[in-house]
Amino acid sequence: MKKIVLPMLVLCGMLVYKPCEAQLLKKIKDKVNQVANKTTGNNDNTQTSQTDNTTSNNGKPTNKGGAGLKNTPPPDVNQQMTDAEKAYDANKYSDARYSIQQALIGVEIQLGRELLKSLPSEVNGLPKDTTQDKVVSTQWGWANMTIQRVYYDGKEKQLTTTIGNNGLYAGLVNMYFNNAYVQADANQQNVKQTKVKDYKALISYEESKGYTLIVPIGQSSMIVWECVNFADENEVMNAAAQFDIDGIKKKLGEQ
Amino acid sequence: MKHTTLFFAFIFFTTIVFAQTDFKGEVATAKTSYTSGKLEDAHFALQQALGDLDIIIGKEVLKLLPTQLDSLNANTNSDNVTANVGFIGATIHRDYGSPEKKAEIEIISNSPLLGTLNAFLNTPLIGGMMRDENNKTVKVQGYKARLERTDAGNGKFNYKLDVPFSSSLLTLNVDNSAESEILGMANKIPFQDVAKLIQ
Repeated sequence: MKKIVLPMLVLCGMLVYKPCEAQLLKKIKDKVNQVANKTTGNNDNTQTSQTDNTTSNNGKPTNKGGAGLKNTPPPDVNQQMTDAEKAYDANKYSDARYSIQQALIGVEIQLGRELLKSLPSEVNGLPKDTTQDKVVSTQWGWANMTIQRVYYDGKEKQLTTTIGNNGLYAGLVNMYFNNAYVQADANQQNVKQTKVKDYKALISYEESKGYTLIVPIGQSSMIVWECVNFADENEVMNAAAQFDIDGIKKKLGEQ
Repeated sequence: MKHTTLFFAFIFFTTIVFAQTDFKGEVATAKTSYTSGKLEDAHFALQQALGDLDIIIGKEVLKLLPTQLDSLNANTNSDNVTANVGFIGATIHRDYGSPEKKAEIEIISNSPLLGTLNAFLNTPLIGGMMRDENNKTVKVQGYKARLERTDAGNGKFNYKLDVPFSSSLLTLNVDNSAESEILGMANKIPFQDVAKLIQ
């Protein structure tokens, strides 16, 4: 019995794992398609070629284009506040809440745009890249807004400024400024404390990322400069000094 | 149970805003500040208004909750609504009965953290809504809910029922109970009306 089972298993294995089987199947499929096309005639051929353009390999249609989404203007703050009052008077509290949130988003986006306008148009010879301007409002939290501006020379050098809440660096800032004294004292120092225009700051360097300079402002916000391909610390500090930190702080309403 | 208590203690003692429910006043301030271009002041007033609304909504929810659950009477003196600025949203609390036999309703509304929690609860593969001897999924008035029991140490069980809405969560805790009892109590809670208010 064993003698029969063993060769059977080997045979099954060979059939299953035959590497050229997929190719063989494809060839058979192609042949069948050719024959089918011949028999269905010219009219059907044009139809298939049309379908080929709009469907992907798995038969589902692929999107060939559309107008996309229109860039909607930020919510009308005054209108939203009036709506909120109306909803409140009608005891529709959930609707009132929604309108207040929309008004908040509207105010935050305006705040962000004003901040972006106040930033320098050129830093260390790097022109601003307004296509990458971002104002993100999260609706949640204390100062719940993040603003981004990129300066880029179109080649290799880039400076990205982020203003507002920044969860990515909050831990690092907390470790250095809200804890007991921490200062690295290794041969190769990667993070150190410094000052930008009298504001306490942290500067770090990573080979893969370049320089990162962080200035916490007020209670919860921070300004972060991420500098790619900057020559040295001084260049980073000079770039940061061109920003009006006091003005930014005032605009954010931080103390 | 310990974890739940700690969690709620954390909620109550962090970032509590003692919002005076002066919604109209706050909106009026926001309007004036906005018109005069003081965006940051408008922003702050709007946030305050949001907190006020959360308090008002919470109080409305408390009005909807039953005054009696089974044989347990509501301790309306310990009714509590807190509006939190930040990630935790508003919390609404009511309890029923005496220390020997107690039921508690906690509602956390409009919290983005709960969005994640609810996604977790609705994903069977990562452990939410799963069944074992102490956890099961039930339906209360058409809402999916998670029923969990822990050993009370006296041969009985403490039960907890979590009913997630989109960014809100209603939790009913009943000590020394049975499944039929807690589900009976849950059926007294007008989920649909509460959901309408807090969503």
